[in-house]
Amino acid sequence: MKIFARRLLAGALLSSTFLMSGFAAVAQDVTMVLPAREVGAPTYDPIRGTKLNVATTLIYDRMMLQDADQSFHGQLATEWSVTEDGMEWVFKLRPGVSFHDGEPFNAATIAWWIPKFAGTENAFMTEAIASVEIIDDLTVKFTMKNPDPNLLSNMATTFMGVPSPKAYDAMGDGYGVTGAVGTGPFKLESFTVGQETVLVRNDAYTSGSALSENKGPAHIARLTFREIADDSTAFLELKTGGVDMLLSVPADFRTTMEAEAGLTVVTMPGRELFYMPINTTVAPFDDIKVRQAAALAVNQPEILANLYGGIGAVADTFLTAALLEGKVKDELRISYDPDRAKALLDEAGWVAAADGTRSKDGTPMTVKLWTQNGTEFRRITEVIQAQLAAVGITAEITVLDPASINDEYKKMTEHQLAVRSYSYENADILDWFFSAERLGYPNVSMWTDAVAEELRIKAMTGSRTWDERVVNFTAYHEYVLTQFVFAPIYQPVQSYAFTTDALMVPEVIRSTRVQSQTFLDIMVK
Amino acid sequence: MSALRFLWGVARTPRGAVSAAVLVLVILCALFAPWLAPYDYAIQNLPGANTSPNAAHWMGTDEFGRDLMSRIIHGARTSLSVAITAIGISVVAGMTLGAMAGYFGGIFDRVVTAVVDLTWSFPEILIALLLIAIIGTGTESIIIAIAIAYLAQFTRLTRAQVMALRSETYVEATVNLGAGHAHVIFRHLLPNAITPVIVAGMLATGDAIILEATLGFFGLGAQPPTPSWGAMMSSGTAQIFIAPWIILFPGAAIAVTVIAINLFGDALIDALDIRNRLREV
Amino acid sequence: MLLFIVKRLLLLIPVFLAISVVIFMLVHLVPGDPIDSILRVGATPAERAALVARYGLDQPILTQYVTWFGKMVLGDLGDAIILRRPVADLIAMNLPHSLALGSLALVFSTVVGITAGALAAIFRDTWFDRGVMTLILLGSTVPSFWLGLLMIMLFAVTLGWFPVSGARTASALVLPVLTIGLGGVALVARVTRVAMMDIARRDFVMMLHAKGVSRWRIELGSVLRHAMMPVVTILSLRIGWILGGAVAVEFVFARPGLGSLLITSLNQRDYPVVQGCLLMLAIAVMLGTLLGDILQAMMDPRIREGMK
Repeated sequence: MKIFARRLLAGALLSSTFLMSGFAAVAQDVTMVLPAREVGAPTYDPIRGTKLNVATTLIYDRMMLQDADQSFHGQLATEWSVTEDGMEWVFKLRPGVSFHDGEPFNAATIAWWIPKFAGTENAFMTEAIASVEIIDDLTVKFTMKNPDPNLLSNMATTFMGVPSPKAYDAMGDGYGVTGAVGTGPFKLESFTVGQETVLVRNDAYTSGSALSENKGPAHIARLTFREIADDSTAFLELKTGGVDMLLSVPADFRTTMEAEAGLTVVTMPGRELFYMPINTTVAPFDDIKVRQAAALAVNQPEILANLYGGIGAVADTFLTAALLEGKVKDELRISYDPDRAKALLDEAGWVAAADGTRSKDGTPMTVKLWTQNGTEFRRITEVIQAQLAAVGITAEITVLDPASINDEYKKMTEHQLAVRSYSYENADILDWFFSAERLGYPNVSMWTDAVAEELRIKAMTGSRTWDERVVNFTAYHEYVLTQFVFAPIYQPVQSYAFTTDALMVPEVIRSTRVQSQTFLDIMVK
Repeated sequence: MSALRFLWGVARTPRGAVSAAVLVLVILCALFAPWLAPYDYAIQNLPGANTSPNAAHWMGTDEFGRDLMSRIIHGARTSLSVAITAIGISVVAGMTLGAMAGYFGGIFDRVVTAVVDLTWSFPEILIALLLIAIIGTGTESIIIAIAIAYLAQFTRLTRAQVMALRSETYVEATVNLGAGHAHVIFRHLLPNAITPVIVAGMLATGDAIILEATLGFFGLGAQPPTPSWGAMMSSGTAQIFIAPWIILFPGAAIAVTVIAINLFGDALIDALDIRNRLREV
Repeated sequence: MLLFIVKRLLLLIPVFLAISVVIFMLVHLVPGDPIDSILRVGATPAERAALVARYGLDQPILTQYVTWFGKMVLGDLGDAIILRRPVADLIAMNLPHSLALGSLALVFSTVVGITAGALAAIFRDTWFDRGVMTLILLGSTVPSFWLGLLMIMLFAVTLGWFPVSGARTASALVLPVLTIGLGGVALVARVTRVAMMDIARRDFVMMLHAKGVSRWRIELGSVLRHAMMPVVTILSLRIGWILGGAVAVEFVFARPGLGSLLITSLNQRDYPVVQGCLLMLAIAVMLGTLLGDILQAMMDPRIREGMK
């Protein structure tokens, strides 16, 4: 009743005013809030974009999709095969698919698409592919520079949504900003960066994968994604009926929301990991003992229990628990040990004064601790500041914007510690963050180590099969852990919430996060 | 001595008494925060986070289980020191500029007036944000930004006072007798012009407290764990449901302090009978 | 009258030039190289040089300014670094929201402020006057973002009358307008009250009383009309304050608008956007002042004469 009255009031005001930037809800119109970490994605260009939101998966189809159990299921590719040596891949394409602009999707599309990645920040996705050959209208062959068991996994990421060649070339730099054309279940109607994206149903859609019940056009006719940076605002919008679904629910509100009648909150395994990179080139962290001490000072169980109410898991390696490469030897896991931390600092010559603060040769142990704007980061960082203080390390916090923090790293200033997170589900994230070829950013630890480089290159290019790749990446991961170039903190779960009156969301999510395969099956009540 | 007796006189009016009492309390908090605060402002107690006001924590605890009252008492120190330092700098610089412009006139006066007029019409918050974009965030930056944001106001006010005094016969006479510029400015002009500027400075301190809190709320001010009223509310917005007191008390602290400053300033203006001199600007 | 407006407009040109220099210099005063933010990870020196040339950063500073100014006058404010699109587009998206908020807040504070101030002056030294004065004091001393938060807690969450955030419906304007408006109401009411009390002491008013004209006719017909001059003056001078208040309020209500765009781009150090926002706000302040001048001139012919 309350909501009804509010809508009525809103409607009355709407008709009597000049400002009409939105409409009251109509049947089959759904409004959702994007996950907080996807706010501000500047473009829907999958080839050049480095930050893409979930709406990208609705505009573009991918060659294949990945289920929650990591298995692959064809979408634009119906079947594929690889030679024993891993040097040749053949893909059969789905027939009868056309882009939103009417252009056909076929082998020529793929031959145009793969080379487009060269020279972009996403070049690593297709780096191992030497050439693309058109066998027939619906068959392509990739010849590889080196075997890449990771190829399918790359092709299932959002970055490898296939855009319309004609639209892409015609729009130039404006592609993804002024328009975006794919073969997906929704067409882009409007995009106001940082505010909202409006999608409309593609009524000609027939490419639903095995991961969706529905293979045809979506049930939702018009889908609006709002970008709300502030968690509490997003929660209030859901509670007051302003939106129908939140694609991410902050840990703080999970219990409050579960208690709320009319809301359904669903929790699924996370894909994110919080950690603290340590710059190995700036004193005192050029001393491995000090690095180890800082890593052991982080009280992961305390953060899990008190900031997250015990939901999620502690992180004690660099990879999320779901990855096989995360199953390292137990003694290599990095876990809270304050006594050992203090002993290491003593050994390294940092002497504790009566008040607990440490110094060496008159230099006090004061270090920089960077974090990014946003409640969750600021909170973890303040707790870690207190935990570091408990072993005698004084950390001074600087809060930076997520968009500018990487620029600061690129300048290779004297940064020391930071609280960061990544969201990715492939062990090659180790290569991204610790490769000696990417010092500053993304290698925030500024780490160069001959042994590590050898292990890394072997893992990246020396594996023929997936199993071999797992063994090689596990070895690299284990070495990274022995050098204390970062401190693991926490692995969150992911949750989403929706209004039970408005939506029916499938109970089983056939992916590691809510994306296109689930959206096809969401029903409007 | 007479200044003190005068202030005492102001404090005995009803408006003056209440506001003076509040101000004295806030200043005492700022000066003796470590002794007055019941707890350490930085000590976390995560299991006791977000507890509502109770006998042990009169204003409840924040999202880290820190005592909110202790943080507000320490926050008085941050807010007052930033506001007073910034306005102090601004008043001194503004008086110097304004006195020189008003006294010497000519091209210098015209340049100063042009710049002042230009910045005058801009809201202080925009000027402060622009400056922070250039010099970066942190306590020192905030002080500089606030000081420059209010510079136009004091320059303008001083210049108007000096211009009015400059044409008075006794000043003319002193100049004609061959007194140095510095002598005229410091012995005759500034002492007579100072009262309205000081009162305007006091009122501006109230505005500066709000400006500091706003910048802190945007995350541009003092860095954690230093308590600042604005920053406390900024992190409190996430707890708006679970623990509304984290937002309520710091906001109330700002409101009460600023109201007290305004009331006391008002009482001073009446007692000094300078309302017209302030309004000239 | 037209001549007056043209003259005032011409006077604004040097002011605008001065502002444009300051805003242009912003990018060059900032520590660090803006190119670093645009450059992709692992870029070669050649790629860097190409970008420097593309943004014209290899030109002498004066040339850069002239180019920038020329483009700016034609509506080209450059490209946003983080958001990767023309700044003019971003401003075009946000400006209508700020205009709606700003103009409604202005109308609200003028209408309510003048009414409250006039009533307080007419019923001076009664409980009504004291009540209005207390509200005025509160309105001018409470931080606007805090007021906004309190409004969200009460009207959006507890009562559920208005949306919490955004600008998707017209009702989403109510709370932000009230939040900004309260400060404006306080200002207008105070000026109206003081001005009316001043004028009520003038001889001609005394004369009207002596002639036996009814009190309400005097107060509303003569006193209030004469008191409008200072009110208009203060309002035009304070248009910037209303815009300034909008910055924090847009942020609290997560509303699109120039203010929230400014804060976001400031945080992201997206300087072309910061420049664009500041430029627009500067223009708004200048136009506000101009409007005030024109209104004043319309009300008082002496000002028009003085300009000749």
